[in-house]
Amino acid sequence: MKVSIFITCLSDAIYPQVGEAMARLLARQGIKLHFPEAQTCCGQPAFNSGYWDEARASARTLLEAFDDSDFVVSPSGSCTGMIQHYYPTLFKDDPVMLKKVHQFCGKTYEFSQFLVNVLGVTDVGAHFPHKVTYHPSCHGSRLLGIKEEPRQLLANVRGLELVDLPFAEDCCGFGGTFAVKMSDISGAMVEEKAQHVLETEAEVLVGMDMGCLMNIGGRLRYEGRPVRVMHLAELLYEGVKQEV
Amino acid sequence: MSKQGEDIIRQLDDQAAQKEEQFFAHIANRLNRPRITRAPAHPFRGAPDFWHAYDLSEEKRIELFMANWTSMGGNAQRFSDIVSLRTYIEDMAKTMKAKYMIRFDHPLLNEMNVEQNLPDVEMTVWNEQAQEELLTKAAGADIGIAVVDYAIAHTGTVVAVSGAKQGRSVSLLPTVFIAVLRAHDIKTKMGEVMADLTRRFGTKLPAGIHFISGPSRSADIENDLTIGVHGPGIVHALILD
Amino acid sequence: MSTTFNPTTTIKERARISLNDEFLRNAVKYTTEKLRTSKKLASDELGNWEEWRERARQIRLHTIAHLDYYLSEFVKNARANGVHVHFASTAREAVDITLKIAEAKGAKSVVKSKSMVSEELHINHRLEEIGVEAIETDLGEYIIQLAGETPSHIIIPAIHKNKQQVADLFSEEAGETLPPETPILAGFARAKLREKFLEADIGMTGCNFAIAETGSMVLFSNEGNARMVSTVPKTQITYMGMERIIPSLEDLEVMATMLPRAATGQKLTVYMSAITGPRRPDDSDGPEEMHIIILDNGRSSQLGDPEFQEVLNCIRCGACLNACPVYRHVGGHTYGWVYSGPIGAVLTPRLNQDTEKWGEVAYASSLCGACYEACPVKIPLHDMLVYIRRQKVEEGHTPASERMAFKGFKYIMSNHRRFKRTVNLGRTGQKVVVRDGVITSKIGPLKGWTEYRYAPSLAEHSFRDSWRNLYAELEGSTPDMSSDVMKRLEEAKKKQGGRRHE
Repeated sequence: MKVSIFITCLSDAIYPQVGEAMARLLARQGIKLHFPEAQTCCGQPAFNSGYWDEARASARTLLEAFDDSDFVVSPSGSCTGMIQHYYPTLFKDDPVMLKKVHQFCGKTYEFSQFLVNVLGVTDVGAHFPHKVTYHPSCHGSRLLGIKEEPRQLLANVRGLELVDLPFAEDCCGFGGTFAVKMSDISGAMVEEKAQHVLETEAEVLVGMDMGCLMNIGGRLRYEGRPVRVMHLAELLYEGVKQEV
Repeated sequence: MSKQGEDIIRQLDDQAAQKEEQFFAHIANRLNRPRITRAPAHPFRGAPDFWHAYDLSEEKRIELFMANWTSMGGNAQRFSDIVSLRTYIEDMAKTMKAKYMIRFDHPLLNEMNVEQNLPDVEMTVWNEQAQEELLTKAAGADIGIAVVDYAIAHTGTVVAVSGAKQGRSVSLLPTVFIAVLRAHDIKTKMGEVMADLTRRFGTKLPAGIHFISGPSRSADIENDLTIGVHGPGIVHALILD
Repeated sequence: MSTTFNPTTTIKERARISLNDEFLRNAVKYTTEKLRTSKKLASDELGNWEEWRERARQIRLHTIAHLDYYLSEFVKNARANGVHVHFASTAREAVDITLKIAEAKGAKSVVKSKSMVSEELHINHRLEEIGVEAIETDLGEYIIQLAGETPSHIIIPAIHKNKQQVADLFSEEAGETLPPETPILAGFARAKLREKFLEADIGMTGCNFAIAETGSMVLFSNEGNARMVSTVPKTQITYMGMERIIPSLEDLEVMATMLPRAATGQKLTVYMSAITGPRRPDDSDGPEEMHIIILDNGRSSQLGDPEFQEVLNCIRCGACLNACPVYRHVGGHTYGWVYSGPIGAVLTPRLNQDTEKWGEVAYASSLCGACYEACPVKIPLHDMLVYIRRQKVEEGHTPASERMAFKGFKYIMSNHRRFKRTVNLGRTGQKVVVRDGVITSKIGPLKGWTEYRYAPSLAEHSFRDSWRNLYAELEGSTPDMSSDVMKRLEEAKKKQGGRRHE
């Protein structure tokens, strides 16, 4: 069984530790991840901005890279949502590619989905004695329907105190190019989201999307707040690292 | 209307008659198919199937109706006989120092004859004879009394049907509106009212069927709730067992 | 803020103005939160919300797919009850018909209950131009009419006005100073508008739903003004969007269950009136003459377009506005036209059939999908916004710099070696602006970002650069896959073909 990682352009270039955490956590389950290097980006920035030819060019690298994989696991609800929800639309006029797309969609999973729904793992044996709050990214929860999986994983982390984030489902304002194109509105949204995070008095903000976390983390840092921002995989790995 | 006015309206009607087919044909065109002139299969009609099973006993219906009606700011009372209902209305009129009242020309209200014990009140009965004045009388009335055809427990609603002897203004223009209803006319859900209306009238419904769920309200000024904006600010549902 | 539906500013400029209006932001936030919470309570109380939603959607889809049939049935049945039915393909035609009716009746004044369609027509201005007074009777609409403004929310049009502002407007109208107290202000409006109801020549309404089988029109209101307007004046004119139709009275139960709960969390609006024609010969109230003007104005252009036909499902509840985080921060005037929020962002470019002028509204969204989740008839608004953006690109209306940027994107992302090289270049180049692991400088292409937050720097080593070492390390230390895990993977693989996505 070939289990591959779709690292996403963001994690590849800016947050490689997320991919590393994923690889190490899955290794503990006896899974040797593969990294097909032909992959670049899911194409979402271009797709959302209406540049579909450009999006397709990027998407093709994924279809090529993962052609012979049995499972594709990604640390991003947003990118996985792009694949599941929009690749069929993107390639609807190309019957040959469309067939590949359907196959690809069938084998692609967001990280917490893979752990919980495929491997049946809700307890990775982590110990992380901190106050934590969770931001469910929009695409992950609305497009992919990921509601329970991250919570189940967090619930089983020893010592972890999970505090509810007020208005958790409200968008953080990232929206990819939206953050730059409609910067004032995006700024207002992330300011509000950061405020809610601070209301929880949590030490750590955890999520399943580096786009959101980069956005909220960037705002918290801008305000000089010492809240640590981590991807779920990072948190779980740090939680097991000490146990070794 | 002047002759000129009539001509203009007639012209507009002719214009519409000419434009009609083209308007519909354009729709069919956009939908990429020929015009449909026969009723299509209508599989998703009305409420979802599970809803039909929702049915309460008469007692529960009355209870639910009263709870919903009062939660919206209405007053609800039950009476076991017509005399106590009449007395209730009399007391209300006296307390309010009502001068003008208006009511349906309805057998139940005629039997009740509430105006009999209210000599200081001018009571207008809604009948076809007094057409011109009725609206003015309703506008000036302190209390309007109607017998409503149905009530709906699920939403806390009374349903008034308009007709020659039951003007819609009676439930709209006075300051206080009293809806008299019989307990057995309270249905669990709206669909039952729809079904009965269809049974009674087919597709030729009366000109006005009014579903009323409490006193008039608005939150348009800074989200502040205010009662009694255009319609009656005080409403009573008087249920006769 | 806005007095016109023809803005000369960009949406970004309007957004900036709204974002600086603290009262507006607080008012919109408070109201949308209240409505959102109320909707949740009401839908939980109803139970089986998803099943009701699906039924509502199916009824609307079915009706729109057979719109020619249901509309013609409606027209036939309405006429049989004595209604004059008119057809207007454009706003201009609807205005002409209205003015002719007003002329024919020698009308001096018109009282209106809420009609978004009438806003599309600017009918108040057109009537004033021929000397006919047009008075809004919905309290919120009355307030903004006095202020000379446009509505900023579909359900609560004067959300942006505070009590003092309302008191000032009413005081001017009253000729005396009224205090900023709701009961007094509402009392003034009630008395003032009652006069108007009683003396008006024409009552003008919108149409929440038209029922094909009976030729009836249904109005939902809380204040009672829609009932007043359709009871007192001798002539009634009703504007009906051509898609606002349902097949039968039975289907009305579904719409009556969804609309009030989605809009304000009520079980039912205080008044729901099913009006079937003008007064009968022996009725003593109700209009003597009734006109229904069926308006197209861009709606038929959505038919037959698989990407947009579903937007005609809309029942104008405003739930998407209340769910939208963008709307919550900027309010309705930012959108620039009659309809605001997510539905407005789609309808404005589509009904106006002008992506060049109005396409920018579709960018005021982070595509979070909250609108779709909130919509009682399941319109995929979040998808439609992307389709509109794509249209804008295809029609060549996007800025050259943006087109260049995405050409660059395509070049880099279509080949992993180019991607790797670009990241390496970036890593070197960023040294100029990176301090302490972050980029904060507010110049250059990242300005929009760094104005509000820090930007991260590119990692010292990208994931793909470090992979070989990581893989080698894990090779040696990974335990063999257990048979349990293998079994799970095999199970999952079998189910992969059936993983459908909506």
